Amino acid sequence: MEQLVNPYPGLLIWTWITFFVVLAILAWKAWRPMINALEKREAGIRGALEAAEKARQESEELTTKVEEEIRLSRYEAQQIISEARTVAEKIHGELEGAAKKKADELVDKAREQIEAERERTLREIRTTVVDLSLSLAGKVIERNLTTEDNKKLVEKSLRQIGKA
Amino acid sequence: MMSQEHSEDIGSIILHHVSNSEVLVPLHIFGLDMSITKHVIMLWVAGILVITAFLLGTRRYRREEMPVPSGFSNFLELVVDYVHNQIVVPNVGRQYARTWSPLLLAFFTLILTANLLGLIPFFDLIPGGGTATGNPVVTASLAAITFLAIIAAGSLAHGFIGYWKNLAPHGVPWPVLLILIPIEVLGMFVRPFALTMRLAANMTAGHIAMLAILAPIFLMANAWIGIGSVALNVGINFLEMIIALVQAYVFTLLSAVFIGTAINPEH
Repeated sequence: MEQLVNPYPGLLIWTWITFFVVLAILAWKAWRPMINALEKREAGIRGALEAAEKARQESEELTTKVEEEIRLSRYEAQQIISEARTVAEKIHGELEGAAKKKADELVDKAREQIEAERERTLREIRTTVVDLSLSLAGKVIERNLTTEDNKKLVEKSLRQIGKA
Repeated sequence: MMSQEHSEDIGSIILHHVSNSEVLVPLHIFGLDMSITKHVIMLWVAGILVITAFLLGTRRYRREEMPVPSGFSNFLELVVDYVHNQIVVPNVGRQYARTWSPLLLAFFTLILTANLLGLIPFFDLIPGGGTATGNPVVTASLAAITFLAIIAAGSLAHGFIGYWKNLAPHGVPWPVLLILIPIEVLGMFVRPFALTMRLAANMTAGHIAMLAILAPIFLMANAWIGIGSVALNVGINFLEMIIALVQAYVFTLLSAVFIGTAINPEH
């Protein structure tokens, strides 16, 4: 038993020497560099994860933005189309109205012209008839002006022409 | 039959195995008895193994800014990472973790290596052998380092006076302090003493058990008993490997906890 618990000072000091030699060499050459590398790696991984998360969020935001813009431009396109349609319809209507008016005008003008022409023709015919009648009458009169019946007949004819 | 003389023989063989040897190389430095014994040699072997392993396995960490571990350095990194991130950081705190990690890594690697070396019968031949960490003197000197480290850690964090003030809780009536201060001071010594005895006893007990299980073969001079004894010892040897790991872990963890309580007093 004596050997087992013998407080032998040499062993105590040798333990310390061994321990501190191991500690000094390895703390300097192995453990500090390893802990540094571990912490650097940890920071690097954390940084990479954060960057990835940030990139994901950014792309999500961008997608939302692009979708919003597409929606907006689609709406705008719709707006433009419907506006154009309205304008086209308006123009169409206006054009139609103007054309109708113009046609009506043309028709009216034509009618007026026809009327005027007819008037003129009638006048001419009337003049011609009167002239003809007169010449005819002259000839008849020359022959039998005395006859009362003939006179009446001529007058009646003239009246009828004048009425027309 | 077992004679009285025979059993005394076995007892002394067992004791001889787990005890430190007689002086192998007498050495006196400055009047101190620094003689080399088998436990000193075993400590050296453990120290040299640890230093060699870590120096060879971490060349990359001294060369490169961002080293990628592979092979053996993977294993070493596992050890360093475990002690640093699972033992030191949670107990000591992140602020002082880098200060105390190397000390606790030295505890863990040296104790683990010495524990495991003690399980290899080969070292009985060169001369020496046995488990250095089974010697209470060795574990006492390691525990003394913990003892001093606790005081150093407390002084570093709160100043030398501040550390002693932190021993007693603040805002406690003085009659309570009369009881508390002796308890706390006693605790300062009980903790390293517990570390000393736990490690030494655990490392010695397994060896005694294994030798005692082998003893009947010789006591009864019957080779058939050997079948049972050896089978049992194979099992115990595996158990011993677990104990070697667990005790190295416990010593390191408790040292970290004690250092941590000096830095972050719970009062």
